[in-house]
Amino acid sequence: MSDTDPVELLLESARDETRDDEFHVTGVMMQYYAVCKRELWFESRNIEIDRENAAVVRGTQVDESAYEDERRNLSIDGTIAIDVLEDGRVMEVKPSSSLVEPAKLQLLYYLWYLQRVVGVERDGVLAHPRERRREPVELTEENAEWVEGAIRGIHRVINRESPPPAEEKPFCESCAYHDFCWSC
Amino acid sequence: MNDNYHIFSDGRIERHNDTVRLVGLDDEKSYLPIENAEALFLHGQIDFNTRVMSFLDDHGVAMHVFGWKDYYAGSVMPERGQTSGRTVVEQVRAYDTPERRRALARKFIRGSIHNMRANVSYYDGRGHEFGDVIEQLDTQQERLEPELDVSELMGVEATARRAYYSVLDDVLPDGFVFGGRQYNPPDNEVNSLISFANSLVYANVVSAIRATALDPAVSFLHEPGDRRYSLALDIADMFKPVLADRVIFRVVNRSQVTLEEFETDLNGCLLTESGRKTVSKAFEETLNETVEHPRLNRKVSYQYLLRIEAYKLKKHLLTGEEYVPFERWW
Ligand code: SF4
Repeated sequence: MSDTDPVELLLESARDETRDDEFHVTGVMMQYYAVCKRELWFESRNIEIDRENAAVVRGTQVDESAYEDERRNLSIDGTIAIDVLEDGRVMEVKPSSSLVEPAKLQLLYYLWYLQRVVGVERDGVLAHPRERRREPVELTEENAEWVEGAIRGIHRVINRESPPPAEEKPFCESCAYHDFCWSC
Repeated sequence: MNDNYHIFSDGRIERHNDTVRLVGLDDEKSYLPIENAEALFLHGQIDFNTRVMSFLDDHGVAMHVFGWKDYYAGSVMPERGQTSGRTVVEQVRAYDTPERRRALARKFIRGSIHNMRANVSYYDGRGHEFGDVIEQLDTQQERLEPELDVSELMGVEATARRAYYSVLDDVLPDGFVFGGRQYNPPDNEVNSLISFANSLVYANVVSAIRATALDPAVSFLHEPGDRRYSLALDIADMFKPVLADRVIFRVVNRSQVTLEEFETDLNGCLLTESGRKTVSKAFEETLNETVEHPRLNRKVSYQYLLRIEAYKLKKHLLTGEEYVPFERWW
């Protein structure tokens, strides 16, 4: 493994798809990083597990349709998929109050990616469909550091030999890996 | 979901529009609700064609075929899209690393002996004195040292199982004489019941393994290739006392299955169709019984316990986290 800073590695991978130490981070990986690092590790290895009553899906889907007609979905580099509003702002839907940090981090990552890789500056908006409220989100220096710290953290997690141990979290209840983690 | 359908009559299963129907020899038709089905158990002489097979495959429904000699004949498993190269690679790696293979084999036996002991303890004190058998089981449990190779571990398991089976003649009602385990084909009523119930456990474990992308042919305690699905043998052993033996005790002690329910000829001693029906029904009831799971914080069925066991094994193989065998906790 190289000693390159994961942030550099990610930027280089975005430019050159043929590197053999390629490193890509998707928005979902950002979210998992904030929600549960163990889940991130499972996801990175395509460990698929369905639980008996798979009806429980994270809040995201529920609110997916909320702003359907005012946004356009764009895919960039095949790695990140963003929703752009008519005024050009990037939107992320915050599904529930327990997942506000993950959604915010994901949005900030998109803004960071647009700035660093694509070279466009955009503002973001975190939408709260249930509360009919929108919170502006900006890529300040501090926020950019948060994103870069997360990129390094993600790199660390997915390169682990084994996943971080399971810890009981409020999200576990609705997690697809629930029975996998807790059947012991 | 997860329902098993047992078909005892002779005839044919066929696809009919979006359903599967069973056509009996008398041309009587019935429909199988396969949306909820985990597996079909074919006990009679059933014809089927490729059309119904691919339909069952699309719906992820397995077919377990029960024949005459030792009952279990084979399975037709759905592809299910549950293939994972990575899982199989890790499984083979663990098999190929003597220490890891031994550790898993030891865990399976630990679970088996624990569960045999639970059954013996249940009867000890309820009109029986089985203190010496419990002691023998504990001795075998203590012999499970990390240095033992797989064949030595097999020996420990065989000794434990012999001690366990020694209680059968005391526990079963008059007329049922066991006298030791006989296979292929079973030679008396008790052996016949054990063979039939064990093959039901085995077939359900095959289904459970299939849902996890583990390769059912790569095993740790049994030698891969001993039988087609040798991993199912590894796991089934732990569940036999809890599923098969409990069902046997129940149907026999309640006289639901009597000595009349067997046919003895040169091919050994086999359950009649009505005997098989009774045992299958009691078995399905047991599979659907639930217990409170201490870690999942909800009730789970015995059938789901089989699935959990496959998850646990898969988790161990993919993460290196310890595998803790199924030991009856209630
Ligand atoms: S069940 Fe809990 S610990 Fe396991 S992956 Fe999901 S959120 Fe993480």
